[in-house]
Amino acid sequence: MAYQTISTGQILTGRRTFLTMAGAAWAATLAPQAAFALSRTDAIYASAFMAPDGSYGVATLTEAGEIIERVPLPARAHGMTWSPVTNRAVAFARRPGTYAMIFAPDDSIEPIVITSVEGRHFYGHGCFSADGRVLYATENDFTGNRGMIGVYDGTDGFARIGEFPSYGIGPHDMTLSTDGHMLVVANGGIETHPDFGRTKLNLDHMEPSLALIDTATGALIERHAMPDHLRQLSTRHVDIDATGKIWFACQYEGARNDLPPLAGSFSRGEDIRFLDLPEETTLALANYVGAIAVNRRDGLVGLTSPKGGAAVTVDARTGRVVRRISLADAAGIAPAADGFVASSYTGTFGETRSRVAWDQHMVRVGKL
Amino acid sequence: MRHRHILLLGLSLAFLPLSVMAEDEEAAAPRAGLEQEAVAGVMQKAVDDFVRPGYRDLLEGTETLAEAAHMLCVKPSDETLGDVQMSFDEVVQQWSTIEIVRVGPVIEGNRFERFLFFPDRKSTGLKQVQRILATNDETATSAETLEGKSVAAQGLGALEYVLYGTGAEVLPTEKNGFRCRYGAAIADNLKAVAGELHAEWEKRDGIQSAWKSPGPNNPIYRDGKEAATELLGILVHGVEAIRDQRLRPFYAGIIKGVPDKGHPKMAIYWRSGNTMPALSANFTALQTLFNTADMKALLPDGNADVVTAVNYLLQAIVDDLDEIDLPVEEAITNDEQRGRLNRILQNTNDVLQRLNLDFGAAIGLSSGFSFADGD
Repeated sequence: MAYQTISTGQILTGRRTFLTMAGAAWAATLAPQAAFALSRTDAIYASAFMAPDGSYGVATLTEAGEIIERVPLPARAHGMTWSPVTNRAVAFARRPGTYAMIFAPDDSIEPIVITSVEGRHFYGHGCFSADGRVLYATENDFTGNRGMIGVYDGTDGFARIGEFPSYGIGPHDMTLSTDGHMLVVANGGIETHPDFGRTKLNLDHMEPSLALIDTATGALIERHAMPDHLRQLSTRHVDIDATGKIWFACQYEGARNDLPPLAGSFSRGEDIRFLDLPEETTLALANYVGAIAVNRRDGLVGLTSPKGGAAVTVDARTGRVVRRISLADAAGIAPAADGFVASSYTGTFGETRSRVAWDQHMVRVGKL
Repeated sequence: MRHRHILLLGLSLAFLPLSVMAEDEEAAAPRAGLEQEAVAGVMQKAVDDFVRPGYRDLLEGTETLAEAAHMLCVKPSDETLGDVQMSFDEVVQQWSTIEIVRVGPVIEGNRFERFLFFPDRKSTGLKQVQRILATNDETATSAETLEGKSVAAQGLGALEYVLYGTGAEVLPTEKNGFRCRYGAAIADNLKAVAGELHAEWEKRDGIQSAWKSPGPNNPIYRDGKEAATELLGILVHGVEAIRDQRLRPFYAGIIKGVPDKGHPKMAIYWRSGNTMPALSANFTALQTLFNTADMKALLPDGNADVVTAVNYLLQAIVDDLDEIDLPVEEAITNDEQRGRLNRILQNTNDVLQRLNLDFGAAIGLSSGFSFADGD
């Protein structure tokens, strides 16, 4: 999940915070039912969705999954990010998409749509700088077959002001270190080209890696390749815990009856360490973790697998599985007041099911 | 009014089971389901009655092509050139049939690209072929050394240029000329790739076994749903690929009320006049796989309309393609033929929705195939 998690103390004070800020004015503009839902929730989330008529949008939701507002999108979105400093959220087009939409969850600005420059497309994820003034997006230089990080100026209409390498192929999710000085990029290692749609072009010679990049210079700090026997383990999604440890989740492109490790962690300067999940948990995740999130306050890591129809909670300190549930078509996951809230392609979000298909990721936009 | 648990919401409640979950006002549609017991039979038919015959035909076609290409070099004449061109057309048909299967051995070792490098948007492949011809690069005249060159210089696109491109007039007169020997090496390479694909699919304990018997120990499909989803994926990705890589690049349809001017030289096989026959073979192959594998058996009762619609649309597309007989650049400017192209694009979008959303939903992919295609 590529978003900046605010301090955990804010999770439970979110309602008070947003009702005393712009949220109060926003609430006054909502339909009565949405305003009521908003008044009772402790956190607000945003997720992209597909409506029954095939149209796409992004919605804000309560912790219980009640939809507060919907904003239409020009095409399907994938990952999301949010800046607690500027209260700007971004929905990135699904690869090989070419747009990203910036909006304010409290509707305080007109949404801004940016498009990828010639020779690039978005990979579906990005994150803000610590001060919210810069937006980073994972992009594909498909002619050069190299991953790039596009840099956008949040103070100037999100104009593209530069780029630097992701130091790998097929960058997907990315997030910001807790000190704000480092980007963590999951280079999935899979070559794609818009001429060939979503076809994975190099499954027999993948190069997955995790790269730590200096936000100030774009220079590579560290790069962790997958071990030789796990070259088909695509590193896809990342998040960071309260100690600054990086957690990553993978999708395996090798034999379906292999039982590879599917998640792991490392801190700067250390080697990566895979989570040693029980076999039944690995089987439940179906060699495919679609989303990862960290609940920093509770020290938990959440994983979802749409292919396995499972949501798993792991103790970040011990690596022990503390909960595993069946959730058909499990999609997004994000920290909740206690533990996690998860969504699904079948419209489940927390305790509510809506007549939409929630996309693969959600972000908590608690401060409104 | 729904029940609320906000104040109590904890880990256990955040992960409430669906059975106790409140429903939004708009209830979700009931899910359809995959006919699990039909999956093994469908996969067996897909392998034995479509995929294996497809690669076997391709191998036979490339063997004939290679033989004809070598004969042309030894005995150049209009007749032996005609034999090569006829064999080339046949291989284009065979490849356009089996190329819809973009999974398995064909996407390993760059086999797909070695057989066909397309699209070639910036003419990088064309330039390499032209450089080989201009410099008489002898390393391009044997399949063994050709394999080490760019994939763009060793497949159907390269051979088409050798047979129909600038300078091809030397072929019926020049004995053992460079151009002919390069063409023969490409044909040998195509035969080698087709042979590898045929051999991989004929291994009894190889991919054919994996396709036919989904299960916990299977290296590809752990269960019937994974197998059925991938089979549907061949159709969905197939239609998408044809639309986005083969149709739209040369004619994008009506844009803001105005017909696209088109880019005839972006059309695949335009030099040999195989554009429409290849497209026709693509769509025919999709329909053949759909019916030969008996994919309707995957659907629960009450979904016959999906099958009827898919067949109707695919057949309509093929019928229109078979009626487009002008060269691409003329077809785009001819009202009647352009109308057919417009209808083909429309029906292509329609059949994609039918497969992706309707068929996908009917076998239990709640939001359609593409939505659950992962990322």
